[in-house]
Amino acid sequence: MSTAIASPRAFKADAAFLRGLGRAFAGALIFALPMLMTMEMWQLGFYMDPLRLALLLALTVPTLVGLSRFGGLRPTARLRDDVADALVVLLVAALAAAVTLYIFGILTPGMSAREIIGKIVLQTVPGSFGAMLARSQLGGEPEGEREKDPPTYWGELFLMGAGALFLSFNMAPTEEMVLIAYKMSAWQSAALALVSLGLMHAFVYTLNFRGGSARPDHIPAWSLFARFTLVGYAIVLGVSLFSLWVFGRTDGDSLKEILSASIVLGFPGAIGAASARLLL
Amino acid sequence: MSRSDAGEPQETIPAQPALESTSPLEWVIAAIGGLLVVAAIAYMVVFAVAEPERPPAVTLSVTSVTTTPGGYLVSFRVANAGGATAAALQVSGELREGGAVVETSAVTIDYLPQQSEREGGLVFTRDPEDLTLSLRVEGYSEP
Repeated sequence: MSTAIASPRAFKADAAFLRGLGRAFAGALIFALPMLMTMEMWQLGFYMDPLRLALLLALTVPTLVGLSRFGGLRPTARLRDDVADALVVLLVAALAAAVTLYIFGILTPGMSAREIIGKIVLQTVPGSFGAMLARSQLGGEPEGEREKDPPTYWGELFLMGAGALFLSFNMAPTEEMVLIAYKMSAWQSAALALVSLGLMHAFVYTLNFRGGSARPDHIPAWSLFARFTLVGYAIVLGVSLFSLWVFGRTDGDSLKEILSASIVLGFPGAIGAASARLLL
Repeated sequence: MSRSDAGEPQETIPAQPALESTSPLEWVIAAIGGLLVVAAIAYMVVFAVAEPERPPAVTLSVTSVTTTPGGYLVSFRVANAGGATAAALQVSGELREGGAVVETSAVTIDYLPQQSEREGGLVFTRDPEDLTLSLRVEGYSEP
């Protein structure tokens, strides 16, 4: 829109934008509240490696841009609009995190800048996902109107990764992921991996959720399984490993324990990936 | 629908959902957001590069001694001037009378991040005013 267009229309666009901001704030709260109220997330804010935290925030930006392509705050025309949405959503999420943490008394005087910034930045990441998805999950528009072009194969894989991150980010910072991995035998780990794979395939191709894909008749089942479910599960494991590493949950552990913890976190991740089209 | 009231803006939005472009207001907010993201990343990287790996360096100071129904409360503040977080920080205190320890008390501070302070208290049954009070940090674990 060029700025020369009559002001009433610009005003209307601003009103819609402000409403979008409010919706994004709500989305940030809805998705981030479990994490805002999790002790490990406050503690990770100050003791996790600052470089990993910086990397996490840096990677969040392109992920949000990608999410904006497939859902996001509004139907966007160009990439730079997606970038604008991503940055807006990050600001809203940071604000939501700062206000909530302050009210909870998690941010107090006597804390260093490093601690306060770390706590807010860490909570901004899940909050921004929630804010970005606010439109697709809470939006007022009828379903048909916001439907964009069906994603390409690569877009589908991206959505699976985002879905995995969306669901597993809740659990990755908790002690329980590693604890469950300690409790499981190698056989149970292998069984969990198989169960995750089976559920992923069933969620997408058998149960026919809204947004799920009906299996086209001309493509054999094994092909779908190999190209989507298997590749998707590999992405899920990658996302799980990355989340665990970012939070320092893999430091000093043996390869077996790291793999086992990735499979444990990959279980919610697989459900998230399979229902990505549903959630995102 | 067609409306021609003077007060209503002319709607030319097509029935198909418009591909909205970004308004100046949104660009301003996006710019603030972008600035914050860059600043936060830069802060973390600078912090990681500039701060050498240093162990926690904890100092302890008594802030007040008050009488409570449960005993004498010695409030203290621990500050960590080091470069790493101390977890499960053990703080202990003892009361001595002429060299002999007459009472001990201990508490664990869950986390003491680098460059930060936390407060706590130790409770004694005897009045520390009449005795020699000493507090010390015993140890911590890495988070």
